Amino acid sequence: MLSRVADSLYWMSRNMERADGILRTLKINHLSSQDNTDEFTWRPVLRIFSNLAEEDIGTIEHEGRKVLHYMVLDRENANSIFNMVTQARENARGVQDNLTRELWQCLNEFYHVMRDPKLAQALQREDPVSVLDLLIRQCMLYYGVSDITMFRGEGLCFMNIGKYLERCIQSADILDVKFSDLSYDLDKTTDTTYWKYLLMSVSGYALYLKKYRTGFEARNVVDQVLFNVDFPRSVLYSVNQLHRYFGRLKGDQNIEGYAKIDFMVGKLKSKLQYSDVAGVSRMGLHHYLSEITSDIYAIGSTLNQYYFAYS
Amino acid sequence: MPSRLLYQDYQTHPSVWDEMMSGDGVRKPYQNISDFLTRIPAEELTKKEELAKRLFMSQGVTFTVYSSGEGIEKIFPFDIIPRIITAAEWDFIDRGIRQRLRALNLFLRDVYHEQFILKDGIVPIELVHSCPHYLREMQGLNVPHDIYVHIAGIDLIRDHDGTFYVLEDNLRTPSGVSYMIENREITKRIFPDLIPQNHVRPVTQYPNILYKNLKALSPRKISTPNIVLLTPGIYNAAYFEHTTLARLMGIELVEGRDLVVENHRVYMKTTAGLQQVDVIYRRVDDHFLDPLVFDPGSVLGISGILSAYRKGNVAIVNSIGNGVADDKATYVYVPDMIRYYLNEEPILKNVPTYQLSNPDERQYVLENIAAMVVKKTNESGGYGMLMGPAATDAEIANYISEILKDPRQFIAQPVVNLSSAPCYIQDKVQPRRIDLRPFALCGPDGIEIVPGGLTRVALKEGSLVVNSSQGGGSKDTWVLAY
Repeated sequence: MLSRVADSLYWMSRNMERADGILRTLKINHLSSQDNTDEFTWRPVLRIFSNLAEEDIGTIEHEGRKVLHYMVLDRENANSIFNMVTQARENARGVQDNLTRELWQCLNEFYHVMRDPKLAQALQREDPVSVLDLLIRQCMLYYGVSDITMFRGEGLCFMNIGKYLERCIQSADILDVKFSDLSYDLDKTTDTTYWKYLLMSVSGYALYLKKYRTGFEARNVVDQVLFNVDFPRSVLYSVNQLHRYFGRLKGDQNIEGYAKIDFMVGKLKSKLQYSDVAGVSRMGLHHYLSEITSDIYAIGSTLNQYYFAYS
Repeated sequence: MPSRLLYQDYQTHPSVWDEMMSGDGVRKPYQNISDFLTRIPAEELTKKEELAKRLFMSQGVTFTVYSSGEGIEKIFPFDIIPRIITAAEWDFIDRGIRQRLRALNLFLRDVYHEQFILKDGIVPIELVHSCPHYLREMQGLNVPHDIYVHIAGIDLIRDHDGTFYVLEDNLRTPSGVSYMIENREITKRIFPDLIPQNHVRPVTQYPNILYKNLKALSPRKISTPNIVLLTPGIYNAAYFEHTTLARLMGIELVEGRDLVVENHRVYMKTTAGLQQVDVIYRRVDDHFLDPLVFDPGSVLGISGILSAYRKGNVAIVNSIGNGVADDKATYVYVPDMIRYYLNEEPILKNVPTYQLSNPDERQYVLENIAAMVVKKTNESGGYGMLMGPAATDAEIANYISEILKDPRQFIAQPVVNLSSAPCYIQDKVQPRRIDLRPFALCGPDGIEIVPGGLTRVALKEGSLVVNSSQGGGSKDTWVLAY
């Protein structure tokens, strides 16, 4: 496969994964903002998913509609859903011959949905959840179409590598920001809705209720989001998937690059497998998360060096 | 009967051949379509037109116009009423194009080798050597199977009596074939059952034939040669076509930056290291192909690719330097080429053409310029031309001063009244001028022409310019089996 094509598929997938994650977070935060006695702040969301400076965050943090517009449609925001979908489509456009027609059409239609002027109006004046649900459905369509139609080749491997790498980063970032509000104190008790909404934004609420019967505790939340191998958004689950799809790239060529990245992914996987919440607590959650994310970024740049470099 | 209104304004021009209407009413091949159009209410037809637009948009059959940083998707305008070519007409076109393409390939072989045709005085030697598309780099080079033109898009028009004429030979990187394929796909959706009822011949085999020909050119005799389509990239207006063809042939779509030349071999940069490329179907013009030999500022090409080609390590389609054969000044001599190389009379006629480098002809053209079309010999896409009947005095005066600077750069033709065909425009069926570009494929097994082509249409009322850059659109083109 052409390096440029692998690079585009990887970024198409990262952009879509990020868009999906942000949309879910926005939806849950909006719902949470309707369920709050104090003034609701969007600060954590803006800190995780945008590059806004602290003072700019301050000017809009209490204005839900403005935040939604900024995060979904603002052309100036590189991380807006609009720009990510546009970017994913541009990635796809350049490699259409390596995608199924269905997948290309799915992304192309998503792009045209984003450009529809009615969307902006609805997001400002009508029920934002309906708008966000519409967009989330487009993301689900993308996942479904890629799963059902894409051939099981190198291309799909790079797409999945991008997807799970991005997911690791997101889950780690969400934990990091949410716990920074609590000064990373894993024993501090807080309002149960705080955890409920966090879990809902990563679609992990139902699983939590089934698995952790002792009620809402910070340690359990950390356990689920970092280490639960059955939870599709946990960091460990994502690293396992990353390892699995990367393993399929093993071949006679590029042996050096393969060995190097395989080592890095394997090491990260072991680090997660042989950690537990008690250990993380001793070490400091923030410190632990920083280590994990910097390992992931290192994997990303090594991939870039050995598999994607072309120009 | 609201439907009758559709035809109410169908005013054909007395000196124009209309594809559907003759003096005695609807021509037989159009009878089915005509009945259909009279049966169907105008609202239905408008709905179908909207469906067509929506399909083009959602399938991404678009080109992007970049303005103020944000891309805007545009559709190449599509008229929903198909253009029909009878089996007899097609037989004539098919034979004519085969003959012409055989002669043109022989001409290119000759011009880049012994130059018999120049020495025998059939084609003036200075004409070839003053042509900017004549490339000395190709001199004496043997190309595989002596095929220079693998893909030709020869443009045909019809005069007032229905006679077909060749307007120009596109032998470099002719485009539009994806619209031949896509327009048919759209017609299947908007007019279900109409295609089989009319016994229309299919066009879907085009990519398979092209692939077979490309594969046959591989210099390495291996079972799975690497065949690629070289595109200038996503900003090119024909990008959609490049990606469609690559997808339909199952070959890799590459950009210049994906390729590298090492030791006179071309490689592509893959996740598994460098892989040798055997055949390149390039959609990049000659002058951008190799910055070491041609335009040094080109970022679309690959340094050293010409040396790999000259060594025979890679096949390039179409061959390089073909522009000398489809130059508008060379065009005049194609009938002579057919007589010279094939000893046959030309089947398809040329439009009478005056060369402005010839003083007598120049004099005649300048005196009659208001009834002429004047074109630059090395431009295409409808750029740089003067439509005498539509031009103002000032435009004409300006253009004449341009001509006098370098007459070799210009030719003139009497205005040919392109034929008209029914189009659905603003809720009415109206006649508009059309041309026809069939696509001929030349491989080691001979020439194959897919029955169909791109019918381009001048959507502006009274306009004779069908180029997409000048407000033209296209139609599905039906070749009937019998």
